[in-house]
Amino acid sequence: MANSKSKYDVIVIGGGHNGLVNAAYLAKAGKRVLVLERRYVLGGAAVTEEVFPGFKFSVCSYVVSLLRPEIIRDLDLPRHGLEILPLDGTFTPMPSGDYLWRVNDHGKTHREIARHSKLDAEAYDEFGKAMQAMCRFVKPILSMVPPDPATLNPRELMKLLFIGRRFQGMTSEDKYNQVQLMTMSAIDFLDQWFETDVLKATMSASGIIGTFLGVRSPGTAYVLLHHYMGEIDGAFRSWGFSRGGTGGISNAIASAAREAGVEIRTEAPISKIIVSEGKARGVVLKNGDEVYADVISSSVDPRQTFINLMDAGHVPDEFLEEVRRYKFRGSSGKVNLALDALPNFKCMPGVGAHLRGAMSISPAVEYMERAYDDAKYGNFSQRPYIDMVIPTLTDPSVAPPGKHILSCFVQYAPYKLRAGLNWDDQREAFGNNVIDTIAEYAPNIKDIILHKQFVTPLDLEREFGLSEGNIFQGELSLEQLFFLRPVPGWAQYRTPVKNLYMCGSATHPGGGIMGANGRLAALEILKDFKGAA
Amino acid sequence: MAQNRSVVIIGGGHNGLVTAFYLAKAGFKPLVLERRNQPGGGAITDEFHTGFKCSTLAHTAGPIRTEIVRDMSLTRHGLKLITPDVATVALSPEGRALILYDDTKKAAAEIAKFSQKDATKYPELRESLARIGKVIGEALRLPPPDIDDPSKSDLWGMLQTGRSIRKLGKNDMYRLLRWGPMAVADLVAEYFETELLRATVAARGIFGTFLGPWSAGSALVLLIRAAGDSHPAGSSFYAVGGMGAITQAMASSAQQAGAEIRSNAEVIEIRVKDGAATSVVLSTGEEISASAIVSNADPKRTLLKLVDPMHLTPDFVMKLQHYRTPGTVAKVNLALSGLPNFTALNGATGEALSGRIHIGPEIDYLERAFDESKYGNFSRQPYLEVAIPTVADPSLAPPGKHVMSIYMQYAPFKLKVSDWETQRVALGDTIVKTLARYAPNLPELILSHQIITPQDLEDTYGMTGGHIFHGELALDQFFTMRPLLDWARYETPIKNLFLCGSGTHPGAGLTGGSGANAAREIVKSMKG
Repeated sequence: MANSKSKYDVIVIGGGHNGLVNAAYLAKAGKRVLVLERRYVLGGAAVTEEVFPGFKFSVCSYVVSLLRPEIIRDLDLPRHGLEILPLDGTFTPMPSGDYLWRVNDHGKTHREIARHSKLDAEAYDEFGKAMQAMCRFVKPILSMVPPDPATLNPRELMKLLFIGRRFQGMTSEDKYNQVQLMTMSAIDFLDQWFETDVLKATMSASGIIGTFLGVRSPGTAYVLLHHYMGEIDGAFRSWGFSRGGTGGISNAIASAAREAGVEIRTEAPISKIIVSEGKARGVVLKNGDEVYADVISSSVDPRQTFINLMDAGHVPDEFLEEVRRYKFRGSSGKVNLALDALPNFKCMPGVGAHLRGAMSISPAVEYMERAYDDAKYGNFSQRPYIDMVIPTLTDPSVAPPGKHILSCFVQYAPYKLRAGLNWDDQREAFGNNVIDTIAEYAPNIKDIILHKQFVTPLDLEREFGLSEGNIFQGELSLEQLFFLRPVPGWAQYRTPVKNLYMCGSATHPGGGIMGANGRLAALEILKDFKGAA
Repeated sequence: MAQNRSVVIIGGGHNGLVTAFYLAKAGFKPLVLERRNQPGGGAITDEFHTGFKCSTLAHTAGPIRTEIVRDMSLTRHGLKLITPDVATVALSPEGRALILYDDTKKAAAEIAKFSQKDATKYPELRESLARIGKVIGEALRLPPPDIDDPSKSDLWGMLQTGRSIRKLGKNDMYRLLRWGPMAVADLVAEYFETELLRATVAARGIFGTFLGPWSAGSALVLLIRAAGDSHPAGSSFYAVGGMGAITQAMASSAQQAGAEIRSNAEVIEIRVKDGAATSVVLSTGEEISASAIVSNADPKRTLLKLVDPMHLTPDFVMKLQHYRTPGTVAKVNLALSGLPNFTALNGATGEALSGRIHIGPEIDYLERAFDESKYGNFSRQPYLEVAIPTVADPSLAPPGKHVMSIYMQYAPFKLKVSDWETQRVALGDTIVKTLARYAPNLPELILSHQIITPQDLEDTYGMTGGHIFHGELALDQFFTMRPLLDWARYETPIKNLFLCGSGTHPGAGLTGGSGANAAREIVKSMKG
């Protein structure tokens, strides 16, 4: 692999959490690594920005849960300033004036659900246990390089066998659940456990986040599991905030990377990946500079990497066709509000613990499904699913004293609007529709807004380089998971271009602030360095 | 010991008859008990109006597996199959017609009138479906492997399938892996740009299911159907005399092999003693004991209605209750005084109408039709699969007259408001109105009609939930999971009680696959 001109062993394209994790692991293994970030700030979609004076928004990703514990340990992130503040519970207001409020306190939640259905309260505990068993099965797969089922290479087959054995090892009850989770729709799956509509609706929500699927679409049960996998300090299914906003995570990883010797340049957009004789040699920056390295590791998505940043003819047409076919279909947006006071819910007036957790606008299964129907035909949902948090109640440092931030994840907001509509014209309507929706549950919201930031899928693409605004760098649908992600036959972080690797969310195990992609890619890259040495 | 070779088969549907035949061949004494006045189940021909005969439910075959046609020598038993040159004609509201001939070249030529690009892609898709379908076909012929401890023959079967999958080569193998869980709308978009063609092919992935073209898993339904017939939109397989002719031939073949068939013999209970099925009780009170009982009825009807659930573990009962059977289709049969005049075919008669007629011009049209059913309403602009069997087989109606057989989707078994008895007429009107948009003179040709709602499918034909395939065709209800994981091998938790209907692997469609597989397994476990 030696390349005389190269000052670096590895250039990492993109300073998102995966790019930084990738760089940190490579540097810790003694490689000279350069990270090139397009924007002025690190973190990619895991970023904190002072959008309005004194108000630090987690512009995109707003809660954390999936960050792999081994990465927190290996990179010693707490020492680098990572602090996760637990987010307790999910509050689901209902139009009827009732609500469903689930918290981490088992007894409280049990009593609360029993208020709606005694049966469901019992089933809820069973469900939790079953999901943990499922997570135990899937977790090692998250930390594993996907096998290639199309080869006869014994090492690959052993991996398949390993999975097979683990599956064999499960009780037939767990097998039954596992098979269902991998294939069913979130609602079909939940229907088997629960009878309370609002409970099913609000639980099914995590089955659609970041996908262009509805709660009744087969395959969403898996995404449900994907979001269940969250783990903070070993506690399953617990979500939290990073102190100082989600960017705090990226900053901690960046600091660990720098300590390991990584050089990081921001405002260094690249215009092209230099390829010759089928090998990646370096990159050309927008300012014309050329930087060379033995290995290029791209944390941006395949469309950016192989179509926007690479001249034609360097990869086989077959591969390019698969890249074009790879589905992004961004389906969500963000609404970030700077507030003068706290929202006041009709169904639970006043300030209370319910505001410290997630507040979910997902009152009924039909509500969720109809939100999806709107999107299928190219409209943003008239009444969208909204997941809201008020980070300032847990971490006041992100807003001026007494002021608050309401961070709203909104689905559906389809990247491709129906003919005649475009997001630049629709942005205001989209954002205000979200505020109207919230106002139906917390009427005072309109009077307490100081500043609004509306983030559409188009903005996610323009500002953050996420193709079609997909927050996971590509849909988490079954045909785009594991050894099919991002391209069948190229799920092992390597690409048809020698010395060019992928390390972003578009690779296994997919999106969310996990970092697993960056880590696994780094391990594969190091393997190849050894092989070449 | 003739006595303990006696087998009772509940239900004389096509799978029950196939099982009866193979069991008789294996030296057993099958007795088929049919609830209705004739065997045939969903594959029957009735005279619904004086002089007018129609395939009451199924109007095209799956097709029947070739080895079954051979083994049962159905031709000798009077079966004449017709495969019209036209597989499907798809109509657009703007008055365009896309004629998909069975012959790939001729089909491509028609497609070229819409898009040259699609015309070149069409043969590619058909070849790919043929290659992949062949492999799936092999898997469909095997009993699903035992998940907990695969037997030698299971492993051998899996090895064989594994081999053939590898033989596909990387590209087709990845297609198989990628397409399986995909939405059929995405699959067709990978090949075609013509909306009408997309919708016509996609329809094959949703027919008879509670899926829309955008539902993940609908592509697998298409692949499984391609296993029997690689025509992307599906060929038309008719029988002279209607679908009833198929089951008539099967019945006569089974009888000749030594099976006995009794009609008007409704089983109301399966008696179980010490965990083993011992006898069945008829509505007349008559009790018939047998050494084995095989049910062609769907899994829920068999194990939750005919068997007293107290013989099953609560866990099994719960899982079976969760087995999804959401019927989505209704059937309307019309007696016509003449051939309707389809605008798109400007009066063309004969050939163009000899195959199936597809109404559902766009993916979004099909998806919207599906949307309504999610909320418990039947589609006001439904997806229709229409056949005019009299074009290819005039014997079904008086000279010059015709019958029209219409499958309508989506008609959800559970309506949000009202019930099917109240909605029956509205359903018929909706269907005729929809068709009249394509054939304006249809209404004045109608002499008589027969409307079969999902409720009728359950009440009259015994299909739980009105589901014509005895259970939803979904990723989690296929193969080793049909009907339930660990119970996909035609056995049930009750000794000597077996399943052989569409609620078992492979299930989908009029192929005889389930019946043939079941017979093999039953013989094994009875001998063993």
